[in-house]
Amino acid sequence: MKNRLRVLRAEREWSQQLLAEKLEVSRQSVNAIETGKYDPSLPLAFRIADLFEMPIEEIFLRD
Amino acid sequence: MSAQTLPFHRRPAFWVVSLLASFAVIAALRISDAIDPTVGFLLMVLAMVQIIPLTRASMAKQKSTGHLSPAIKNYTRRFMLASFGYMLGLGIAVTINDRIELSQGGAFLIALLPVVPIFGMIWTMGRYVHEEDDEYLRHRAIMASLFGLGVVLSVGTFWGFLESFEVVPHVEAWACFPIWAIGMGIAQCWMTIRDRAGEGEAE
Repeated sequence: MKNRLRVLRAEREWSQQLLAEKLEVSRQSVNAIETGKYDPSLPLAFRIADLFEMPIEEIFLRD
Repeated sequence: MSAQTLPFHRRPAFWVVSLLASFAVIAALRISDAIDPTVGFLLMVLAMVQIIPLTRASMAKQKSTGHLSPAIKNYTRRFMLASFGYMLGLGIAVTINDRIELSQGGAFLIALLPVVPIFGMIWTMGRYVHEEDDEYLRHRAIMASLFGLGVVLSVGTFWGFLESFEVVPHVEAWACFPIWAIGMGIAQCWMTIRDRAGEGEAE
C-alpha cells in the first residue's frame, strides 16, 4: 500500500522523531511506514488520519 | 552525543568485545588445563557480570535514538536475570554431575537447573510480544522469532538425516535453543540494517 506520510510530514516540517512522538510509536515505525516496508494496522492508520485531520484514503492509497 | 564521541565504557560494542574476549581467554585456559573446571566456572560467572554494563550501554544508546519502549526495558531486565540463572544453574548442574553418582530421579532434577532459566528466557520473549505497544517493533520481534524457528527446523531436520546416514556426529538436543536464538539474532540484525538503509532515503 502506498502512502503520503513523508510528504505530509515534510509539509509540516516535522522530523520522523516528532511525528513518532505525536503518534506515540517508535521512530522506526514511522520510518517503516514511510518507506512502505510496513503497512500500519487500522487503529494506527486512524490515529495518523486524525493527527493530519484528513480522511484515511487521502493518506493511504491503493497500489 | 554520537557513538564516535562516547567514552569506551558507554559503547555497547566495547562490552560485547570485552565479553567475547573474556570467554575466549577462559576457554583457552580450560583447554590448556591451566585452570580446573571450578575456577573456570567462577571466571565465567565473573565474566558474565559484564552483561550489566553492556545492558546499560545498549539501553542508553536505544534511549538516545528513540528506540526504547517500556516493554524493551522489561524484556532486558528479565532476560538478564534468566541469563544469570542459566549460567549459575549450568555450572552447578555440571559440577554435581561430575562429582556425584546420580540416580535417574536426581539427574532429572539436576537437568532442571539450567532448563528452568531457559524456560524463563522463552517466557520473557513471549511476554515481550504481549507487552510491546509499538506494533512495528512487535511485528519485527514476531518475524525474527519465526525466522529463528525456520532456522532451527531446517538445521535440525537436515542434521538429523545427516546423523542417520553417519555423515556428521551426534549433537545434543539442547542445541535447538541457541540455534533458534542465533536465527532470531540474524533476523533482527538484518531488519535493523534494512531499516537504517531506509532512514537515509526517508529523512
